[in-house]
Amino acid sequence: MTERPATPPPANTAPVSRSRYEREKRARYEAEQFLEAKSRELYQANSALRKQAESLEDAIRQRTSDLEAARIEAEAASAAKSIFLATMSHEIRTPLNGVLGMAEALNDTPLTPAQRDMLAVVLQSGRLLQSVLNDILDLSKIEAGKYDIEEIAFDLKEVVQSVEAMFSLKAQEKGLEFKISFGPEAVGWIRGDPNRLRQILGNLISNAIKFTSKGSIHVLVSVNVEGDGHELVLVVKDTGKGISEEEKIRLFKPYVQSNPAISREFGGTGLGLSISRRLCQLMQGELTVTSREGHGATFTARFRVTPINAPQVLRAEDPEEELKRLLRACPRRILAAEDNKTNQLVLKSLLNGLDLTLDIVSDGSAVLSAWNQAPPDLILMDIQMPVMNGLEATAAIRSAETLRNLRRTPIIALSANIMRQHELEYHAIGMDGSVPKPFRKEQLLSAIVHAFKHAPTAPSSQGD
Amino acid sequence: MGMGLLHRTPPTLQRMGTLVKGIVFVELIRMAETAIGEDAVDQILDQCNLSTDGAYSTVGNYPCSELMQLVEALSNHTGTPQQELQRLFGKWMHEHFVHSYPAFFVDKPDALAMLAAIEDEVHVEVRKLYPDAELPRFETERMGSDALRLTYRSPRPLTDFCQGLVEGCVDHFGQPAEIRRESLPNSEEHACAFTVNLRG
Repeated sequence: MTERPATPPPANTAPVSRSRYEREKRARYEAEQFLEAKSRELYQANSALRKQAESLEDAIRQRTSDLEAARIEAEAASAAKSIFLATMSHEIRTPLNGVLGMAEALNDTPLTPAQRDMLAVVLQSGRLLQSVLNDILDLSKIEAGKYDIEEIAFDLKEVVQSVEAMFSLKAQEKGLEFKISFGPEAVGWIRGDPNRLRQILGNLISNAIKFTSKGSIHVLVSVNVEGDGHELVLVVKDTGKGISEEEKIRLFKPYVQSNPAISREFGGTGLGLSISRRLCQLMQGELTVTSREGHGATFTARFRVTPINAPQVLRAEDPEEELKRLLRACPRRILAAEDNKTNQLVLKSLLNGLDLTLDIVSDGSAVLSAWNQAPPDLILMDIQMPVMNGLEATAAIRSAETLRNLRRTPIIALSANIMRQHELEYHAIGMDGSVPKPFRKEQLLSAIVHAFKHAPTAPSSQGD
Repeated sequence: MGMGLLHRTPPTLQRMGTLVKGIVFVELIRMAETAIGEDAVDQILDQCNLSTDGAYSTVGNYPCSELMQLVEALSNHTGTPQQELQRLFGKWMHEHFVHSYPAFFVDKPDALAMLAAIEDEVHVEVRKLYPDAELPRFETERMGSDALRLTYRSPRPLTDFCQGLVEGCVDHFGQPAEIRRESLPNSEEHACAFTVNLRG
């Protein structure tokens, strides 16, 4: 800063005049004054900058704390929403369980053709309501980061064909050509989430049928090697009305259908594509669309899977047949705890005609005393019950078994709470499985079969 | 730090003792020129063998040892004792301040107010322009309405110069005062206290 300037080279050595000397002196004085003025300006500019930086930092601090408050508020609101949705799901599922269960049971009784048609509408509407409810719950779980993707070995072709079976009739009714083809790699077993595959593929095919009035729907299922893993690619191509650029923007946004008129014309929650895309993303993939208005649309879903060798197991038989076979070998007694009269009736109807004894009690403490008198072969346990809930009753039974060195009675949870965290909780407390409400006959029966097949046949000698 | 670096370091930054603002050198030479003429001053500067060759700018900083060398040489040349020369120079310097920085003086009712403002007003401004300036410390204490005790502390042996400044300040405000000086023995720095009592 105070570095001394290089001495100017001596131009000539002749004596300098007085006036020249004074002029030089004045010039130096002015230079020094100038420097001092500039220094002061610089100082003032620096001060202003520092002040500005400080006020900026203050503003940032304020903004940060505002944002933090907003975040906390938003998180609280989101948590409240999740709790509300979980509660509502329980409240809606219980009566829906009653409606669907009774409708299914009614289906097994002699009906006139007209009654059967009416019942078909009841069942169809009930299942539609159930799927809407599932959509809303799915999205809220995805948004809350509580959605669990399963890793299960399954036969790719079989799962895809089960989806095909669901839609081929509908396509036929609309006079559409509906074809599913498989790429060379898309054979055999893979590890992934078959239910999410069904959900995504089902959603894309359902949309394609919905928005195509003539022509065809082609589905191509292929498996690509992608880096160090494999990617399942589902391409669903239709010859429908297509999607405008404007509609594409809104296509994947939840609760927004590309055009409000669509919900009037075609129905639906507008959640399907948004859920499917999120599911693909959860499985390290993506859902994309290419389309031109009036020229059909092509949706491409891709996500990670792991090809595996086909497991050497026999195809599972129909659970009802299997249960019947098990019961022929040995009749069994089932104890059910369910406080809701409608659900009691549903259980009775679903298990009617099977060679088993069904005792129903309506709270946890009644289960405990019934179990004390004579342990059944299986307990179906509702979770939310008065007096003593299902979890408390299960815990009491498990500790009594250990204390008294008794055979372990299989316990299956019956619950409208189907969130994964609940399943884990049930398992931790000693339950052997769970059946979500409203239950389908097939689900209930296969859970019972599974429990019977895995139940210890003799009292556990060491009481482990 | 090797010799190479030292060699490249400009003389003004070499810590030969401490540094003094260039304005002090410029004004000392100006006072000397007024007193003994330019030729005599040139001669003295040539004889002193100064690292700066006697070229000083008001905005630079230069070794205090050179200032002392100049004071000694001027003292020898004029026969004025060094302490007296420093005191006279202090008064000269004060006049220069009044001339160059009148803003500091206009709102001060008397010399005591001016002296009391050195640390918190004048030096604050100096540091704005010269953040590297090594300024002495001036502590002041009011001793009633017409008296003030000023303590000067500096690593530089310029207590007599300081006395000249105090006297110059009293002269400037015109109100006569008695100035008592008391030295404060201190091994680490040069320190003394001035008690200024206004009269009349």
